Amino acid sequence: MEAKEFKVRWVMAIDIDKCTGCGACMVACQAENNLAPVEDASFKLRVMNWLVVYELSNKQPFPDHDIAYLPRPCMQCGNPPCVSVCPVIATDKNEEGGIVSQVTPRCIGCRYCMAACPYHARYFNWFDPSWPEGMEKVLTPDVSVRPRGVVEKCTFCHHRFMQAKDKAIVEGRDPEALNDGDYVTSCAEACPNGAIVFGDVNNPDHAVYELARSQYACRLLERLHADPQVYYISRREWVRRQLDNYLENEQVKG
Amino acid sequence: MAVDRRGFLKFVTGVSAGIMVTPVPWVLLDDLSIWTQNWPWIPSNVDGPNTFVSTVSKLCPSCVGMKVRLVGDRPVRILPDDNHPLSKGGISALAVAEAQMLHSPARVRRPLKRSGDGAYVAISWEEADALLAEKLGSAKGSLACVSGDETGTINEVLSAFTARAGSQNFYLMPSEIQPAAKALAAMGGEGQFGYDIENSDYVLAIGANILESWGTAIRNRAAFKDAHPHGQEPTVPYVYVGAVQGNTAAGADKWIAIKPGTEGAFALGLAHLLIKSGASSYASDFSAFASLAAGYTPEKVAELTGASADGIKALAAELQKARRPLVITGSEFGQGTPVGTVAAGMAVNLLLGGLNRPGGVKLLPVAAPVVDSALSRAQMMEKDFVAYLSRINAGKEKAPEAMLFYEANPAYGLPQADKMAEVLAQVPFKATFTTFLDETAMLCDLVLPVPMGLERLDDVATPYGSGSALYCLARPVAPMPANVRPAADYILGLAGKLGYSLGFGKWEDVLKAKAQAMGANWKSLMAGDVFVSTETVGASLSFGADLIAKSLTAKTAEGDFALAPVHKLNMGTAKTAIPPYNNKTIRRWELQGSEIYVAMNGATARKLNVSKHDKVVVSNKSGSIVARVNVFEGIMSDTVAVLMGLGHTAFDQFSKGKGENVMQLLTVGFEPGSGQSVWAMAGVNISKA
Repeated sequence: MEAKEFKVRWVMAIDIDKCTGCGACMVACQAENNLAPVEDASFKLRVMNWLVVYELSNKQPFPDHDIAYLPRPCMQCGNPPCVSVCPVIATDKNEEGGIVSQVTPRCIGCRYCMAACPYHARYFNWFDPSWPEGMEKVLTPDVSVRPRGVVEKCTFCHHRFMQAKDKAIVEGRDPEALNDGDYVTSCAEACPNGAIVFGDVNNPDHAVYELARSQYACRLLERLHADPQVYYISRREWVRRQLDNYLENEQVKG
Repeated sequence: MAVDRRGFLKFVTGVSAGIMVTPVPWVLLDDLSIWTQNWPWIPSNVDGPNTFVSTVSKLCPSCVGMKVRLVGDRPVRILPDDNHPLSKGGISALAVAEAQMLHSPARVRRPLKRSGDGAYVAISWEEADALLAEKLGSAKGSLACVSGDETGTINEVLSAFTARAGSQNFYLMPSEIQPAAKALAAMGGEGQFGYDIENSDYVLAIGANILESWGTAIRNRAAFKDAHPHGQEPTVPYVYVGAVQGNTAAGADKWIAIKPGTEGAFALGLAHLLIKSGASSYASDFSAFASLAAGYTPEKVAELTGASADGIKALAAELQKARRPLVITGSEFGQGTPVGTVAAGMAVNLLLGGLNRPGGVKLLPVAAPVVDSALSRAQMMEKDFVAYLSRINAGKEKAPEAMLFYEANPAYGLPQADKMAEVLAQVPFKATFTTFLDETAMLCDLVLPVPMGLERLDDVATPYGSGSALYCLARPVAPMPANVRPAADYILGLAGKLGYSLGFGKWEDVLKAKAQAMGANWKSLMAGDVFVSTETVGASLSFGADLIAKSLTAKTAEGDFALAPVHKLNMGTAKTAIPPYNNKTIRRWELQGSEIYVAMNGATARKLNVSKHDKVVVSNKSGSIVARVNVFEGIMSDTVAVLMGLGHTAFDQFSKGKGENVMQLLTVGFEPGSGQSVWAMAGVNISKA
């Protein structure tokens, strides 16, 4: 199946070699998108996280061991497996920019999309979100709080996209041709290592244009042909090998 | 009318077709899903005008600059500040959660007094004033004060207050800055070590966790970012030498594993190779240092540290090849470092011609104190709080009549924490100025709530690790809770009541004087600008050969295994505990429920006959913890890595009762030569539980 064509295609390029796994992106994501804190976050299957930083290992014994960290947002797939299974069109991919939407008030909580997503990027609200008394004052006005019973996921901070477009319109610029840096996600903004780069992959003036075309750029489970809009860059062959299910002697890109 | 079978089927078919065609059920379903999501207990968003204010974090030890997004008068987001030299467009995992911490359940919101039965009762500020004035008045001459703020001018107010009360017992909580200052003094220098990481072309970190928690970590990471273009060879190689392949090693281009606590010996091994290749110095004690280093051949260093001799030789060759190399030494967990270790690392910098040159180590000027009777920065660095408590414990010094804590949590954050808490219990009256109800507050007779950095006027003066002397203000951006008072103004007022003249009546005037002493413009600082000085202090340093030699005679750790505590900023600090939003960043095999996982490599696990998830007891003469095993190959053999920041017995539901506090296992020793209290080299025994 061919992916839907967009003039603007928002893409995240994550340099795994620059990520040190500090978690600033995860905290920034929660604060920006009004995810509730939890007392015990050790049961990872029940914890809401739009962005998770996974730890990768080259599986070699000491002292040949190497480590890498892989931040995983929603891949905003070109052929999103989640969209075709949603019975109520709560998730769709039809807006210029190619971001997979998630309309939580429309979600009926069937969780088909979670089963379909190969990246475990979708989360179900098992419980009503709750904040310690007073902490709800820190909620941003940009993203509605979701109740229990609905599925949610990373939206590439879509509200920032809308704000950037509004700003461009007010300034008399073309909202379909934003400058590099006009619209960045909260995680990309927070990263002190510059490991996450965000921009329009169709625009040669944006840094991600070159990064996505790097010989070291791969996508997660690329051979599923979901056509993700998140690229991972690593000069380490063992890292790229772990991004898909390669056979032992099979060549990887780069 | 009778309904026959055919009629019934027609009716059913008609109804089914009708339902499929009409939008009514779908609209109702849609409405229903919306109605069932609008519950009164789900908080709603509140909109308002957006403003952005630049300030600096007083909560994060990296002193990261930040831009606070306000909606109306509510801070909602902490964003990186592109223009701040300690942010450079990045933010730490701790500072980014600071706005949420304004509403932490652990915040103290009114003065508390410990009642006869041990419970805390809320009291008014007037009652607190009277109690504090009475107790401190009667403790005149026998007061001790401990500050957990390393960079603030409030230390001048506190130390002057202590001095006026007839005591010299003002202390800072231990960190990397004290051993560095002592090393600089022993080498005959003045000022403060500054690390010009941005202009270096080869960065070697020995022990110091520079990309996570050491020094101005976010600024270090901005330099790392610039030096590592995507998908290309790094323009500046970063090498990390340490026991654990943690966050710094993950970013570094090379990781060399060494045993914890052998950083000094490793640096001397490099010095030996550099001298052998012709490196020299005009320093008075160069020959003494050269003969000391001569004993640290690659083979001996390999034996001492566990690194390979060839690896050490290759590293020395790379350092020699670099034009502007920089060596940074410290402890993997930011405290307990021997002075000799810092001096040994600095000796390598001297041999590489790295003093006061771009990309090397600079000696930064330190402004003189502005408050009468305050200790100078150098005098503060001389004071060793752990040594003081040890002297009280040994009966060599009398416990003070009263002790004041300012944003310090020694009952959790010191080595052998329980033992330290026992010593603190000997002090008859204790009061704390704190934001959160921490472990130390739970020991105090009086708990006085202070505003957070976002709610008060405060300052940051040249944090340790910075590459240049700088000064900036933390400005109040959020409204202060009603029953909370800024500590500095309060102490100045208290000093007036007790008849101690400190020369200032208002905290703002102290800061204005400080800004002037630093050479900064007050108005510009209040506008959010940062004053950065390019000045350095001229000096010809000695190697401190005698000090290094004595330091290296320290006894090796007891126990069969070495302990490597791991410090990560997402876990918070002793002052903050784990911020509520940071719980999710704790990895799966670091904590499960309330059980902590400790990490060791496969060879060590086999030696112990344990496998992943097995329960073990990690113990030494200082204490013991029960933990589960995580097998992780990025750790030196015979070493166990334990995450810091767990095991809180106070704070809130997001921190309390999770895992164990590794500080219980860190045994305090005293460094030969400097006499500094050290705990970077702890040994443990491990057995199956």
